[in-house]
Amino acid sequence: MKIALTINNTPQSFEVEARTLLVDLLRDHCHLTGTHVGCDTSQCGCCTVLKDGVSIKACTTLAVQADASSITTIEGLGQNGLHPVQVAFAQCHALQCGFCTPGMIMSSVDLLHKNANPTDEEIMQALEGNLCRCTGYVNIVAAVKVAAAQMRAGA
Amino acid sequence: MASVPLDTRSFARQEDLHLITGQGQFTADQYYPNMLHMAVIRSVHAHAKILSMDLTAVKAAPGVKLVLNHQDLASQGAKDLPHAVTLTSITGEPQQINKMPVLAKDRVHFVGQPMAFVIAETALQAQDACELAQIEFEVLQACADVTTTLASDAPILHESMSSNVSCVFSSGDKASVEKAFAAAKHVSEVRVNSQRLIGFPMEPRAVVAKYDPSSQKTRIHTPSQGLLSIQGYLSQCTGLSPEQMEIVTQDVGGSFGLRTAAYSEHVGVVIGSRLLHQAVKWVGTRSEVFLSDWHGRALSLKGSMALDERGQILAIRFDDQVDVGAYNCYMSSFIGSRNLSITMGGVYNVPALYMQSTIVYTNTVPTSAYRGAGRPDIAYAIERLIDFAAHEHGFDPLEIRRKNFIAVKDFPYKTAIGTQYDACDFNLVLDRALALSDYAGFHARRARSVSKGQLRGIGLSTYLEASGAGNVQKDQVDGQFTADRILVISGVTGASGQGHETSFAKIVDNELGLSSQFVKYQAGVHGLALIGNGTGGSRTLYGAGSAIKNLCARIREQLALVLAARWSCDVTDVTYQGGGWCRQGQDATRMPTAEVLASLSDAELQGLSGMGEAQSGATYPNGCHVAEIEIDPQTGEVQILNYVCVDELGTVISPQLVQGQVHGGVIQGFGQAFCEQVVYDEQGQLLSGSLMDYALPRSGDMPVIRNETVEVHTSLNLLGAKGVGESGCTGSLPALANAVMSALRPFGIDRMDMPFTPMKIWTALQTAQAK
Repeated sequence: MKIALTINNTPQSFEVEARTLLVDLLRDHCHLTGTHVGCDTSQCGCCTVLKDGVSIKACTTLAVQADASSITTIEGLGQNGLHPVQVAFAQCHALQCGFCTPGMIMSSVDLLHKNANPTDEEIMQALEGNLCRCTGYVNIVAAVKVAAAQMRAGA
Repeated sequence: MASVPLDTRSFARQEDLHLITGQGQFTADQYYPNMLHMAVIRSVHAHAKILSMDLTAVKAAPGVKLVLNHQDLASQGAKDLPHAVTLTSITGEPQQINKMPVLAKDRVHFVGQPMAFVIAETALQAQDACELAQIEFEVLQACADVTTTLASDAPILHESMSSNVSCVFSSGDKASVEKAFAAAKHVSEVRVNSQRLIGFPMEPRAVVAKYDPSSQKTRIHTPSQGLLSIQGYLSQCTGLSPEQMEIVTQDVGGSFGLRTAAYSEHVGVVIGSRLLHQAVKWVGTRSEVFLSDWHGRALSLKGSMALDERGQILAIRFDDQVDVGAYNCYMSSFIGSRNLSITMGGVYNVPALYMQSTIVYTNTVPTSAYRGAGRPDIAYAIERLIDFAAHEHGFDPLEIRRKNFIAVKDFPYKTAIGTQYDACDFNLVLDRALALSDYAGFHARRARSVSKGQLRGIGLSTYLEASGAGNVQKDQVDGQFTADRILVISGVTGASGQGHETSFAKIVDNELGLSSQFVKYQAGVHGLALIGNGTGGSRTLYGAGSAIKNLCARIREQLALVLAARWSCDVTDVTYQGGGWCRQGQDATRMPTAEVLASLSDAELQGLSGMGEAQSGATYPNGCHVAEIEIDPQTGEVQILNYVCVDELGTVISPQLVQGQVHGGVIQGFGQAFCEQVVYDEQGQLLSGSLMDYALPRSGDMPVIRNETVEVHTSLNLLGAKGVGESGCTGSLPALANAVMSALRPFGIDRMDMPFTPMKIWTALQTAQAK
């Protein structure tokens, strides 16, 4: 099947099998390997990307479902430098092994797009679909707060 | 959205930039041209004879290039998977060992056991082809748990044996313990289970192999915890010599003990690539990881404590059951013997200690190390036992601890089992934790909770563990300066999120005054004959880190010689302090090390290169954790209200990274205490085989973790540091459990096993109230 979509601001078209997953299109065809597969079943959130600005899990989205949409991956987030969420994660030691980090950052970006000043509880709830085995989440929540403050100050 | 310009100076770690930008290089991110993909045919039965296995249709499926069964592997020189330790049993006989075959031969012993490898052009083709296998089984009765496997009428799992017991191990002085129990005023006994867990690094297990026919070497990309361990194990089971392998580990998405060893799939891709002369990749699905990554814990510990009339401990005895799963793989026997015994008295002065563990097979995934590997388990058992004994015999849980602490003046202290702790101050950590947690104010807070219809509990643990002694005698590192004056350090240990590079650079900064942008660390470099330990047992910082301190001392010696020649003075007149160099009594200002390096000739720079090494044994990190919780009796749900940890870790090199390690350890303890649990049914089918059934901690489960460190100097390594990687787990299991028991004890509930799920708590409360 032929699909045409925009990936990280670049329009592209592909010939894919109907069963091809969006995450496999991104990783195997586009070599955008920052989007990770952690569970294949949409529970861990490592594969989170933005579709038309909204976070989705690329491991349970078919590539054909992304036809005519605009996909942003971790590689496309800070094309002219770093996104404030990326910086805050590094500053707050919100990552250890880094495997969950791209998905965690994409979910956080989605949250801050919808809610510029989230409470701790709102952050925890927004990140419930993203698992991290290393950090205990405390520093991740702190990083999202820091990023939110920086984005509000810079808006 | 305006982007932030690239400035990484405020980052916590040097490792972070590539990870936050999607530039990480994990094993699955490795792609080669014309790379093939492997899938695994796995057993669907827990215990069965393989009557026939017809793979004709698999071989004929679209895209399939190669299918391997156990005979194919044997003809290529493959051997069974290694085990790390053979114990001596209580009778003096060596432990019975049943190694796991890479692929099942005539029997399968657990659901998920690899039976054949299928290599095809695409991953989907390989997976599709697996479905076409025709396998005829004679299903046998399974033993899915320890009780079943020890029953007198249990089926025997391994045909060469007369029972399902691999070994009965013992340690300590049984006679003196029995004598102490006979004379005791009070005796308490508690059996606690440390249930089977999934280690669950976020990066699923993966391996890519690429054979180069011209050099006859195989490059192997795989997550690991350090070069030598995985190389040695791979060599044992693939039949290749270490020289025929080039192991490449870049980023590793968590390890927690699971990544030191070679698994069946490593052997499949290595042999497949050699036969096909093409790169072969295997990336486990999460379901496969549940079914085949070594499981952790699976220990049952029955502890007994003998006390005199004043609450002084006279003896502790443990009778443990250790479930190694279907085969002896890697560390399981070590965990169930040595690691359960060496600190079995905890922080207490116990005159007599004895333990026995019965190590058994079941039709389940083999077990091995998971964060702490027996040490959290024994600390958990001791700290639950002392709380239980205090309440059973009317002692205050705090006072009974203080009364029995090994006193500061008694260090170095040799336990009744023979372990020597060097230096600790248990009252120091306890006092600080009590202050931070406002322990004294608990009764008032409990009264407020009760007035709202909530149950409130507080639990404390005063834990001690032995961090890794290492299985290699020394840790060595190599240091080379590049033309840009960057110090590139190479070593054996590889990180999987710990931040080795950042901590090592901090050590160099402390020792040489060379800031982190001038220091790089690389793990597992070929062509360097280095020995050392991998990441494990929380020992990298003080193991490899001490070697780096030694390297820096050698570089300082060389620099002093160079400067003495340049300044035409005696080398003893060249002084280094606070990152700068000068002539004693002559120079008003010091020349920073970076400036000295910039002024060196190429030959002088070369002369600085060399090796650093250190011998570092086990250390004894300890601490006090305090958990305060509320239980809603209507639902059985537990909320963590406050969590305090005061950890005594010796010299802290990177406080932010230490905090991160403690947080991570504590939340994994939370996972075991409240949600994680591997469940098999009676037939040995894994019921908790996905994230829908196996609950991992999520954001918000522990909203606040307050942690501090205190330092008691240790002279056991050059840095004076103690291990931190696993202490969070070790401290949190008993603190959280004791908090739950504290909330439930008013209802007469004093025994309960992890995980403390709402269902379990609610049911216990209903039963207690009905009485």
